[in-house]
Parts: sequence; C-alpha cells; structure tokens
Amino acid sequence: MPEKPKAGFYNLSGCSGCLLTILNCEDQILDIFNGANIVSFLMANSANIEKDLDIAFIDGSVTTDEQEEFVKELRARTKKIVCLGVCSCYGGVQAMEYEKNTWSARFKKVYGTKPPTITKPFESRPVDAFVPVDYYLPGCPIDANQFLYNYARLLRGLPVDIPKTPVCLECKWRENECLLLKNIMCLGPVTATGCNARCPSVNLPCVGCFGPADEGNLTSEFNLLKEKGFSFPEIERKLRMFGGVKFVNKFKTMWKKVKK
Amino acid sequence: MKEIRIPTLARVEGHGNITVQIAKNKVQKVLLNIPEGPRLFETLVVGKTPSEVVNIVPRICAICSVSHRYAAIRALERALEIKETKATNALRTLMHYGEMIESNSLHAYLLALPDFLGYPNAVAMVDKYAPAVLRALRLKKFGNSIMEITTARWTHGENAAVGGFGVTPSKQQLLDIKNQALALLPDAEETVELFRNLHYPTSMEEGMTFMCLKPPTEKYGFVGNSVLISTGQEAPIEDYLKLTNERVVDHSNAKRCSYNDKPFVVGALARMNLLGERLHGKAAEAFKRCYSLSWIRNPLYTNLAQVIEILFCVEQTPLLIDQILKNYDKIVTDSKIQKPGGGTGKNVGAVEAPRGTLYHYYEVSRGLVSGANMIIPTTQNLDAMETHIRVAAENLLKSAMDSTQGKKDMDLTLEMVVRAYDPCISCSVHVVNLD
Repeated sequence: MPEKPKAGFYNLSGCSGCLLTILNCEDQILDIFNGANIVSFLMANSANIEKDLDIAFIDGSVTTDEQEEFVKELRARTKKIVCLGVCSCYGGVQAMEYEKNTWSARFKKVYGTKPPTITKPFESRPVDAFVPVDYYLPGCPIDANQFLYNYARLLRGLPVDIPKTPVCLECKWRENECLLLKNIMCLGPVTATGCNARCPSVNLPCVGCFGPADEGNLTSEFNLLKEKGFSFPEIERKLRMFGGVKFVNKFKTMWKKVKK
Repeated sequence: MKEIRIPTLARVEGHGNITVQIAKNKVQKVLLNIPEGPRLFETLVVGKTPSEVVNIVPRICAICSVSHRYAAIRALERALEIKETKATNALRTLMHYGEMIESNSLHAYLLALPDFLGYPNAVAMVDKYAPAVLRALRLKKFGNSIMEITTARWTHGENAAVGGFGVTPSKQQLLDIKNQALALLPDAEETVELFRNLHYPTSMEEGMTFMCLKPPTEKYGFVGNSVLISTGQEAPIEDYLKLTNERVVDHSNAKRCSYNDKPFVVGALARMNLLGERLHGKAAEAFKRCYSLSWIRNPLYTNLAQVIEILFCVEQTPLLIDQILKNYDKIVTDSKIQKPGGGTGKNVGAVEAPRGTLYHYYEVSRGLVSGANMIIPTTQNLDAMETHIRVAAENLLKSAMDSTQGKKDMDLTLEMVVRAYDPCISCSVHVVNLD
C-alpha cells in the first residue's frame, strides 16, 4: 500500500468555522483522520509535528507579522496549499474595507493609544497575497460535501474540482421563487455556488458568503440592482462583505461599465 | 530568571500560549499570551443595516455563532422595539439548545476528555474507548441537526433573523428531532456518568466569583435581561460595562475583564453554581449526584457542568417540540419576520454562549448601525484562567523542577486549566470595545 499523504490543518485569523465544518462531519471524521497521515491539527490534537507536508489546509486570513512568517515557512515545506473558506481565499469579512485606507483609524479606535505589542497587526489579506496557493475552497464556512469530495480527490493526487457557476443555478434546481423578482437584493447571480442555495431556500437573500463566482456577471448584477432602485454604495457594501480582495480586484476591471 | 513556556495551546479554538516566570524557586509572573490576529469587528458593523449586522457578527466565532447571532438579534430588537413573539422565542430556544449540545459535546469529549484519558486527540481514543467516541459523535451530530433545521446550516445559517425566521422548520423535521432526542437520552445520561467518574486534579483550586444571566422564569435557561452574581447581587444587563470593566494589556490581543478588581468566571460552571437548583428531571438528579463545593474552586468541573447541560437540553428538546407542534399553525404565522420599526435606538442584548455570558450592544441611527460593542465570555474568563494557572504553577513548581515527569504533569495541568474554560480565542481577540 502506498504511504498515506502527510497533511496539516492550520488556522490564522478567522472564526475557525472551516475547521469546525470538518470536525462536524461526524459520520466521516474517522475516515478523514484515517485517510491521511495528519501530522498537525492544533484545534483537535495536542501532539503535532511540524515537518514536510504533502497537503496543508489553511483556515483564516493573514493579519499579523507572525502569520505572514508562518505561511512563508509553511509554503517552503508543503507540496500543495489549499485555502479553506473566504478568509484564507479572499481575506474574509475582516477584509471588507480592503483598499479603503480605514484600517489604522479603526485599529486605534478599538485598542486606543496603547495597543498590545505582542504582534504587529495589519489589514487582513488572503494567503495568496504572501505565497502562491494551489487550490481554493471558498465559503463562509466551506460546504461539508464540497470539502469531503475534494479531500478524497486531493488524497488521490487529483486537483480540486469546484463549480464556477453562481448560486442561481442551484437555486433553480431547488425550484425556489426568485427573490430578485420580488425586488429583494439577492447576490445569487454573482456568488459562487456550493451551498445548495441555502439562504434563498429559506426565503432570505444570498449574502454572498462563497465570494464572487468566476462566471457571475457582476456588471449586469450592478445594473439590475440599480434599476430596482438600490443605490451604488449599498450594492458595493453588500458585495464587499464576503467578497473581500477578490471582489475589489474584479470590480476594478468592470466598474466603468456600471451605471453610477 | 527561568521560564516555563507552553508555546502553543492545543485543542482550543485559536492561538494562545503560557509563560510562567520563575526566580528564586518561586513563581514570579504568569502570562496567558494571546497573539491571535485582530479583525476589528465592532468597526466593521458600523454603517451596516441591522440585518447585515446579523450576517456579519456570527463570523466572530464559528463555535458560538448561534449565540453571537442570538445576542445581536436580542440587542437590535430591544434597540428597535421589536417584540419577540412566543413562537419566535420557542424556535430560538430550540436553536440555542442545538448549539449548547453541539458545542458542549465538542468541548467535553473532543477537546477536554483526551487529557483525562491520556491521548493526544479524540480519534486516537477509538481503539480503547470506541463507545465513548461514537456517543460523542452522535450527540454532536444531533446538536448540528437542530441548528440545520432552525438556522439552515450547521454554522452561520441565516434563517434566524432580526424579527423572526425566514422559514419555520416543518412538522416532520421537528418530529424527527424529537424522536432523535428521545433516542439519545441514554447517551446523554451515560455521558454524565463518564465525566462524573473522571479524576479531577486539584492543584489549581482557588475560590472564584461567578456570573450568569438570570432566566426570565423559575427554570434553568440561557437568556435573560439581568445578571446574577455569586456574591449575592443582581444587576440589569444595561450595566454590562460596570460588570466587566475591560482593559488593554500588553501581552494579549484580547482585552481583559474584572469585577471589583477581581477575576470572575462565566460559563457552564457559573451557570451550575448559580442556577443548578433550578434544573428539573434527570438533569436535576444528575446535578445532585455530581455537585460538590469543589465546583466553586476547581475550573475542571466545567467539563462535568457542560455534560449536565447536554442532558438538560436533550431532555428539554422533546417537551419544547411538543409545545411547538401543539400550536404549529400559529407558530408558523407568528414566527415570520416582522419588519423593523422606527430604525433608531440603542440597547444591549445578552445570551449565555456555551462558554459564558455574551453581551452585544448597538446604536442604530435611521436604519444603520452607528456604534457597537461586544463583550465576550473568553475575555471575561482570562483573568481567572491566569489566576488558576498561577496557583497550579505554585503548587507544582517543586516537583516540576525535580523531575521530568513533574515538569510534564505541570505542563499538562496548566493546559487542562485553560482548556477547561473552553476558550474561544478568535472571539476574545476579534471583539474588543470601541472607546
């Protein structure tokens, strides 16, 4: 039998919801631990060994100098880095003000004039702002089924396989009534799928927690929402909430086409 | 000067480490360092609508995401004068039980129990303790199933909103949960027996002050608008700043709290110490069997308190569901989301998160949040944790200096103390108040 791949599970700045989602796979947890040689999983294990890895899973974004050093050190000894969730993929909710230059003032507001000196903090950025990343599994948190399918693939040396389509596709499969038709601001058309359209299925608009879909038409969503009477700042605010750095970068390429 | 360092705390949520400074064979200083990165949540909610706030704040912490959502909803509804209907309250209570069962089983079994049985993690215990591990997974899964039907996801489900629920769980979903609860009752009872028979080390014992929310009825529960303190006082939650007194310290990105300049404790142990007499049925019997005066001195009994709470929630769930099903049509109508009123106001709301009292405070001005504050259970417990670490270090120092085994025992005890508090370090760092 070939040797099991060596895997590590790490968290940076985030809510640990993606690692929790893995621990929440109660029916598969024993297989998850048996399928790989898990050498590090600080949240669930106390005997961790930091050595060369085949696969590293990262939950959370980079917000301190210590974390920046850590991801560089981890990259140097890891074959494949997989980002779990919108924090490590795109910066997370803590990156919603990305490139607005508000961070220093906000930091001061929270910690006052004598902040702790234990680390050097900065505005949240995704892992790929510091080191190359091999695969992305977005979501806030990740979807358990999408994780299990891709975990099995990764252990067999196969690449991550996630859909590029928006939430609307799954929403149609579930035969939900379209919330946009009721003039409710739903981000389904531009948000990556994978959640099984959870929110529209309980009559609530998609909040965009999987981040921007590669195949979503952002210009069209902006213009549609404008026609429905929503203001430009309102739409941008909603899209920034979970879209973080990916949204801001995507937006730069299309904002001129948007009716202000 | 010598130092004993535990460089990374394992089996806790987030990042922390311990330094014990020693000089002249005496413990000089104990530091529970928190280097976890800040996220500045209070500043992120400013300028958002109340419903957007409820989308954002559960992301402070996944393990208590339902409690964050619920605390925010309570604060915003009080601020905007939205009255919670009985129907909505019943569904929220059910959702809260789900989180208590899931989070308490995650902590007691998967994070704390390996220490008592001598393992690095819970999966490694399977060979020798398979029934216990499988029981843990059944209970944890059940907690998640309740959150799935009430909030629409295990974690960060959006169905519980300001004003009510997007959809009401179906009759069949509720019946399934009820039947699962009835079937899991023996698991919950066996869990109490397992934790009752563990050996609890005593080297960290020190009397503490406890705080928890006072439930609105005579029963045990997890919400309220006033705080009970073990020194005999009671205070409205509006006094939350005076009760917690947050301050910044150099060695931690999480702030610290104290009451009357002394550490205090929140969480399952505090709730049992203050409300244990209110329990009913099997949970009451379990409480009587397990409780002793050590519970006011020894934080490790948090684990036992948590599993009694699992029993309480599993026992109460079928009764709650029967109530919901009796008036199901009215529950469906009355739990629909009510539109917010005036759009201006400010208030505080509080719930008991699994790991202790959680306060959210919001100022809303013409439909947008203009100020916010959140005080987190782990922040409140950090001073108490440091105190217990100091006491344990003082008591164990001699044997730790004499032998490798003594040093190992001390390291383990210090880690067990921190773990007993079930800390949520992400919570404690990412939530600090606006000055």
